[in-house]
Amino acid sequence: MSAFHFEGLVWHWPIAIYLFLAGLSAGAVFFAIMLKHFKLYHEAWHSPFVQAAAIIAPVAVFGGLGILVFDLTRPLDFWKILVFYNTTSVMSMGVLVLMAYQVVLFAWIACIFQRRISQLLGKRLPIVQRLLNWLVLQEAAITGILVILAISLGAYTGFLLSALIGFPLLNNPVLPLLFLISGLSSGAAATLLGGVLLRGNPNGVEVRFIHGIEIPLILVEIGLLFTFFVGLILSGGQSQVAALNALGFGFWGWIFWAGVVGMGLTLPLAFNLWMKVSADRKFAYVAVTASFSLLGVFLLRNFILYTGQMTGT
Amino acid sequence: MQVSKRQFLKGVGALLTGVSVYGATRTLQADSLLQPEPESETKYAMVHDENACIGCNACVQACREVNHIPEGVTRVKIERKGPFGEYPNQSYRFSRVSCQHCEAAPCVRVCPTGAAYIDKETGIVAVNSDRCVGCQYCIAACPYQVRYIHPETRTADKCDFCQKSRLAQGLLPTCVEACPTKALTFGNLKDPESDLVKLLKAKPSYRAKVDLGTRPKLFHIQTIDGEIML
Ligand code: SF4
Ligand code: SF4
Ligand code: SF4
Repeated sequence: MSAFHFEGLVWHWPIAIYLFLAGLSAGAVFFAIMLKHFKLYHEAWHSPFVQAAAIIAPVAVFGGLGILVFDLTRPLDFWKILVFYNTTSVMSMGVLVLMAYQVVLFAWIACIFQRRISQLLGKRLPIVQRLLNWLVLQEAAITGILVILAISLGAYTGFLLSALIGFPLLNNPVLPLLFLISGLSSGAAATLLGGVLLRGNPNGVEVRFIHGIEIPLILVEIGLLFTFFVGLILSGGQSQVAALNALGFGFWGWIFWAGVVGMGLTLPLAFNLWMKVSADRKFAYVAVTASFSLLGVFLLRNFILYTGQMTGT
Repeated sequence: MQVSKRQFLKGVGALLTGVSVYGATRTLQADSLLQPEPESETKYAMVHDENACIGCNACVQACREVNHIPEGVTRVKIERKGPFGEYPNQSYRFSRVSCQHCEAAPCVRVCPTGAAYIDKETGIVAVNSDRCVGCQYCIAACPYQVRYIHPETRTADKCDFCQKSRLAQGLLPTCVEACPTKALTFGNLKDPESDLVKLLKAKPSYRAKVDLGTRPKLFHIQTIDGEIML
């Protein structure tokens, strides 16, 4: 059995990229909101990290949707997903969440950068100015809805796969939580990486704040992965076969142990703990740690998608 | 500002709980037998007698011709297991693999556009290819792995008991007619006088993967010769 082609394989790597990007977008937004509300307050708009998140979140969600559309066998019929709804379909409900998420995301970005946009516009386009002012008045509501939508989007990437009842590794209640948490940590990593690339201070308050959340997040993720696989193995039957197959010595076993556990979780955790004690953080530390966790989450998505489809009931 | 934010969050929380409770009860209703609308008098099903089947694949060929199924994909497969026993007393076992027309069909549940649907009149699970966008969610969701993308229409396809070809003309599904040993029986589960119901009452049958809760309507009569398998 080859790692990328086997009988029963329906969804290929484009779906993994889509799931990765959707989770990343949600995570970046989540951390940008946290930064604003707990650390930066009204200064958020000139933080390179918030700016990075405001660029990454929409680009990732558009990219993800684009990949989803191109992966349809009838991409030109895409509009039918928007017109026809099926309330029992996770995909249908997820598309609804995605659409709402994009609208609220742009409203939120407009709120955050309202002063900047107003400066740029000057006296032109008074309608836009008025709209912006109105949006700023609604900021509390917009932020609240956006947090809820971002969390729904992150969990949806897991529910999409856990609805596949024929595959014990995917049809698993821990999967949505695992995808949500790893999506958040990929968002944190993308925000950090984007922020330092935009010349943010690698030793600044933003980095310290995000790293502070990242350590518990990685620990929770390790706990969830452990629960996920121990749960499968203890269930016996095909669940056990699926779990042992995935974690064994094949290609995907290596991806899991070296890529997901080693590079994606252990190294960032070690770096973060070390950075916590050492006095200051340099650009290279932050960038390398963030890249490792990004790659780790990306590999986790592929690992789950492919090994999940290898063993049916 | 603080107060309004808290009120807002409470409101959203209540709304979300409401929506999810509503959604949960709705699926329960849909799955339960207590559907308000009167059920139709017809519910088609099929039996494959594995004792009678000789694995000739005439059913597969007939289906290919009648339903214009291109090479490379198929609506029905006959899976062969064996040989069992010593030469010259060897035997094989054959089992039909095709859409089970599940009562609680996972493919229908996951389809985002409603292209995969259950025909209320006949209980047949079918595909409305005008609505299908080819997301392949149904293909991944079907635990029996019988759906595929039709290479010409680029939409999801599978056995529909010849709904659009032969049933529309009042004929039996073509595989049933093509079978030289009469291993296939097709009929209405709700009609106690049908050959199908009589057969199911006369012989013990099994269905695949019932533990998944799909309630399939393709019945198999198990082979009695050959080895006992664990
Ligand atoms: S067997 Fe597969 S395609 Fe047929 S109704 Fe059941 S889930 Fe759908
Ligand atoms: S491939 Fe077509 S029938 Fe299947 S889930 Fe997608 S839209 Fe529905
Ligand atoms: S035509 Fe009848 S005997 Fe031949 S493979 Fe099909 S079911 Fe079996």
